[in-house]
Amino acid sequence: MATTADQFQGHVADHGHDHGHDHPGFFARWFMSTNHKDIGTMYLIFAIIAGIIGGAFSGMMRVELAEPGIQYLDTFARWFGAENPDFTATLHTWNVLITAHGLIMVFFMVMPAIIGGFGNWFVPIMIGAPDMAFPRMNNISFWLTVAGFVSLLCSAFVPGGTGLGAGTGWTVYAPLSTYGSPGPAVDFGIFALHLSGAGSIMGAINFITTIFNMRAPGMTLHKMPLFVWSVLVTAFLLLLSLPVLAAAITMLLTDRNFGTTFFDPAGGGDPVLYQHLFWFFGHPEVYIMILPGFGIISQIISTFAKKPVFGYLGMAYAMVAIGVVGFIVWAHHMYSTGLSVNTKMYFTAATMVIAVPTGVKIFSWIATMWGGSMEFRSPMIWAIGFIFLFTVGGVTGVVLANGGIDDNMHDTYYVVAHFHYVLSLGAVTALFAGFYYWFPKMSGKMHSEFLSYVHFAVFFVGVNMIFFPMHFLGMQGMPRRYPDYPEAFTYWNHIATIGYMVMAASLVVWFVNIAYAFLAGRKAEDNYWGEGATTLEWTLTSPPPFHQFETLPVIEEAVHH
Amino acid sequence: MAGTKNHDYHILPPDIAPLATTLGALIFTSGMVLFMHDMPGGAFVPWMGLALLIASMWMWFSKIVHEARAGDHTPVVQLHQRYGMILFIASEVMFFVGWFWAFFDFSLFPSTLTEVVDGQWPPKAIEAVMDPFALPLLNTLILLTSGTTVTWAHHSLIHGDREGLKKGLWATIALGALFSAIQGYEYLHAPFGFGGNTYGSAFYMATGFHGFHVIVGTIFLAVCLVRSYQGDFTPRQHFGFEAAAWYWHFVDVVWLFLFVAVYIWGGWGYPTH
Amino acid sequence: MISGHIARSPRLLGKACIFSAAGLLAAPALAQDEGSYTPMTPTEGVGMPTPGGIGFQDQYSPLGEYALKIHNYALMPIITIITLFVLALLIWVVVRYNRRANPVASKTSHNTAIEVVWTILPVFILLGIAVPSIDLIAKQYKPAPKEALTIKVTGNQWFWTYGYPDNGEFEVISNMLNIPGQPVINNGVREVGSEAWDGPSHLEVDNRLVVPAGEPIRLQITAADVIHSFAVPSLWFKLDAVPGRINEKVLFVEKPGVYYGQCSELCGAKHGYMPIALEALPREKYNQWVLTHPGAVIDGREEPAATAPAGEGETVPADMPEDAATEVAA
Ligand code: HEA
Ligand code: HEA
Ligand code: CUA
Ligand SMILES: [Cu+2]
Repeated sequence: MATTADQFQGHVADHGHDHGHDHPGFFARWFMSTNHKDIGTMYLIFAIIAGIIGGAFSGMMRVELAEPGIQYLDTFARWFGAENPDFTATLHTWNVLITAHGLIMVFFMVMPAIIGGFGNWFVPIMIGAPDMAFPRMNNISFWLTVAGFVSLLCSAFVPGGTGLGAGTGWTVYAPLSTYGSPGPAVDFGIFALHLSGAGSIMGAINFITTIFNMRAPGMTLHKMPLFVWSVLVTAFLLLLSLPVLAAAITMLLTDRNFGTTFFDPAGGGDPVLYQHLFWFFGHPEVYIMILPGFGIISQIISTFAKKPVFGYLGMAYAMVAIGVVGFIVWAHHMYSTGLSVNTKMYFTAATMVIAVPTGVKIFSWIATMWGGSMEFRSPMIWAIGFIFLFTVGGVTGVVLANGGIDDNMHDTYYVVAHFHYVLSLGAVTALFAGFYYWFPKMSGKMHSEFLSYVHFAVFFVGVNMIFFPMHFLGMQGMPRRYPDYPEAFTYWNHIATIGYMVMAASLVVWFVNIAYAFLAGRKAEDNYWGEGATTLEWTLTSPPPFHQFETLPVIEEAVHH
Repeated sequence: MAGTKNHDYHILPPDIAPLATTLGALIFTSGMVLFMHDMPGGAFVPWMGLALLIASMWMWFSKIVHEARAGDHTPVVQLHQRYGMILFIASEVMFFVGWFWAFFDFSLFPSTLTEVVDGQWPPKAIEAVMDPFALPLLNTLILLTSGTTVTWAHHSLIHGDREGLKKGLWATIALGALFSAIQGYEYLHAPFGFGGNTYGSAFYMATGFHGFHVIVGTIFLAVCLVRSYQGDFTPRQHFGFEAAAWYWHFVDVVWLFLFVAVYIWGGWGYPTH
Repeated sequence: MISGHIARSPRLLGKACIFSAAGLLAAPALAQDEGSYTPMTPTEGVGMPTPGGIGFQDQYSPLGEYALKIHNYALMPIITIITLFVLALLIWVVVRYNRRANPVASKTSHNTAIEVVWTILPVFILLGIAVPSIDLIAKQYKPAPKEALTIKVTGNQWFWTYGYPDNGEFEVISNMLNIPGQPVINNGVREVGSEAWDGPSHLEVDNRLVVPAGEPIRLQITAADVIHSFAVPSLWFKLDAVPGRINEKVLFVEKPGVYYGQCSELCGAKHGYMPIALEALPREKYNQWVLTHPGAVIDGREEPAATAPAGEGETVPADMPEDAATEVAA
């Protein structure tokens, strides 16, 4: 059975050069798009803008945390439009910053970039399809994401209780988010999630249908590139978890505005119910953010090791396993809420199970490289970095999984360190890997490999400097969501803030690299990575024609195993 | 060769409907914020948004109908639509899981610390509940009957009996409307309110969202009825109708769960009204 | 000067006997009358974070010591080894299987034996972790003995109240001390450092949660408004204060001392400014402290009949004293 992407000799009849016909004008092309590549491009640009905003917010957070005491929050409060904020309103601004940072990074940076951007661009191409199954619905998925972002930004400028903006944390726990935060800000935030959530559900339906239904002749499920597998699993997670979030935040909305008492103890409601509903969504959500990254890494490792992915089926079904088990571990975020002893034991055990399929992935990547003839082009550097950084984040997750241990770690910076290692160092590193892998394919211009290496090196140093010390802070007991802290925490916080500046410098290198590519970059060939790159996108021009595969490619039976 | 389409997929021209629909949605949600906080514009912005939302969805769905007539819905595209509808219903199921989760949390573990609940279900503050074997039972029978009438319509359609299709649809829509009317009557005469305690909250949100789905389903069927008068649907190609029927069955099944769990079990042994 | 501060801090401390606490470390009041009490001076590095520290705080409860052992001798080594192992493999493949060292790539893509190994081995490692971990959870949930002292902890925006139902229902209101040079956080509360026994800024409070050391205590935790979380890292203790629920857990402090913690669930603007300062005293000292409160009684733990039935399903704490209420509102 053919298991990897390396046998895709697509019979591509039309190396399409269809410029000229049915090329819509500017407005029609970008505002009325039904083209998966254009929509993917818009998602990527949107995600980069959101990432810059979310990253800037984290910079504001880091400068405030550089020293104990409150130094800059008052200024930031004024930026959001507060006139003479009192001390409470100033402190509220902290909560607004972390809330916005968390929501933006999760819903408006990682998800749009990795699923909306790369998924849209490459899932249809990799399975040999001309477009997505529902091109018009694809477009509304994108616009709803933008609408959600607009709604979230609106919330920052209107009252949210003790100050301007929604200061509930990205988890929007009730009752802080209900009677604890009067004013329209939280409602704008809730609707932001409704809007972008609806977009993501439609996106999920679109991906699943496309992948099940539009594979080119010969492209069986077990021949699909692993990136496609990863998006398939992710889409199922989205489809089944987001509606539960939608229900939860709708309950928040009616509790806030229409007198229901779902989470209000005065009417018998239960604040912990909200947490169950949120994390039933929230835990699958974290895998939603990482699985497509796993897929990207698999493509890259196989390309530059010039080997098929080791244990392809194991890799695909490990993702399925992660997805399935991901639905039954949610309460590990709630160990300190007063769960019963059996519940806590169950969730401890169930959570640890996920380390097994994840380990299969880590080891299979290494086995893919084993025996390979590796070339360390820019995407490969990022991919190898990913494996290491993700492992660091993953193993601290296993520590947190122990309910009795988490009693001390929960809501400390140890958790912040854990999830930034899997997100800001895991998912984002996978994003940059994918970016360098596919940017020339999408734009037709080569980036500078040298600048990519510089970007990687500086980023690697910077983010480790930001987030590694947070483990120490957490173990020493520094709680999350604090704008101020006892003197004893100063040292490592200071290091983290310096690390932020290093990391920021790396992003400048990245921007320069993009500018360089567009201004002076060489034209990208069809397959600029050479023999190891075997999936269908490498059979197309760079950039691909407006409509690819107008004659469907035929995937041949594998020659060998 | 270039530029010639050699496959059966549906490649669409650029379309403004998605952006327009999104704007409608955003204006609606923002208007709702204004409305809920008694801010200026709260009285009309939501309506503007809703109007734009409905208008652009109307535009969108009529395009789909036109495309169906134009023959764009090849067998593979119809298969897309089947997948799409099944997945959509799956996500709706998970949406209702949220409401049932809340309901069972409240009913199985009623708060012992809150005066209005006092450790019992239905809560202490609830003096009487609806009699499940009065109007709700009638509504159950109505919905079950409507499930058979929609199947009648389907069979007629498959056997080329257009009159039967119309009659079946008329009957289903009438039963759906009757259900909604009875549900509305019940809401008006219910012995408990929406807010203030968990019973009202869980009851009205779960049954309310179900009711909303009944209305959407009824509209969906009405569209099918209009289309059947216009000569759409053939015995072999009628996915628009089938989707409406699937949706209707889904709404039906949700009601059965609501009826058994919320109405019968959830009000067991309580004075009825 | 000291008395000036006391005067501005009118509540429960008002009755405290005041004298210089200098030099009084772990054993404060020497031969005081019943009803006299001086707050204990905390020991540097005990019950609080240490500057630049990289590990857990030292533990002062049996369960904390057990948990710390599990972490330090099982979890931490295991995850370090796994991470270093992955790193070593990565370095090895990079050195050995690059284009120059290995010009022709192999085509191997399966090896069932190794796949089984790397699936089964983690399973065993995780089982090894799970055994002590589950045991720890079981121990943490062991209920307090019937006669254990009950203390009620209530989280409020943004201060804690501590109720002593077994000691005559009195209640202590605990606010963070203001920080010199920072805007006032709690009106009418003194600045940190103005008393000799004050601990670190951001952690010290005007009235501590005083408990007896060396005996199990039943903490019943709830909240009056939004969710808070009662956390003391050096006792491995964290339990959310959820409105509408009473969460209960045993607290056992091995030896007298002051142990600091901070609210650990986002609860609004001043979430960062509602620390917990827990002062554990020997039983007699604790009793003396109890008697500084009007209406206080020492529970007859020797005569179980006299034990007040603990917490009869009451959520809402007794109303706070009027002066405190105005102060909080201010
Ligand atoms: C991309 C996102 C992502 C990913 C992939 C993960 C992965 C994991 N997470 Fe994480 N997590 C988050 C994002 C993520 N998490 C976020 C955002 C939060 C905080 C939310 C908030 O409160 O705001 C969080 C919080 C969080 C908590 C709650 C902490 C608390 O609040 O107290 C817990 C507890 O169990 C946890 C556990 C885990 C585990 C066990 C994994 C596992 O999947 C990890 C598995 C991986 C490995 C283990 C490494 C590789 C494996 C091997 C090399 C094999 C051998 C290994 C062993 C035998 C151990 N996470
Ligand atoms: C994906 C998620 C993500 C990412 C990337 C980040 C990135 C960063 N975060 Fe994170 N953070 C969260 C998710 C994320 N965060 C969440 C969920 C919380 C919890 C919020 C809460 O408590 O409610 C949090 C909280 C949080 C805190 C704790 C606040 C508190 O508890 O008080 C801190 C403190 O330093 C912090 C700092 C940072 C920093 C310095 C970065 C830097 O690494 C940022 C630098 C920026 C980037 C690396 C992004 C660059 C990317 C692009 C520009 C787009 C690229 C796109 C393509 C390639 C297509 N974050
Ligand atoms: Cu109280 Cu945070
Ligand atoms: Cu999780």
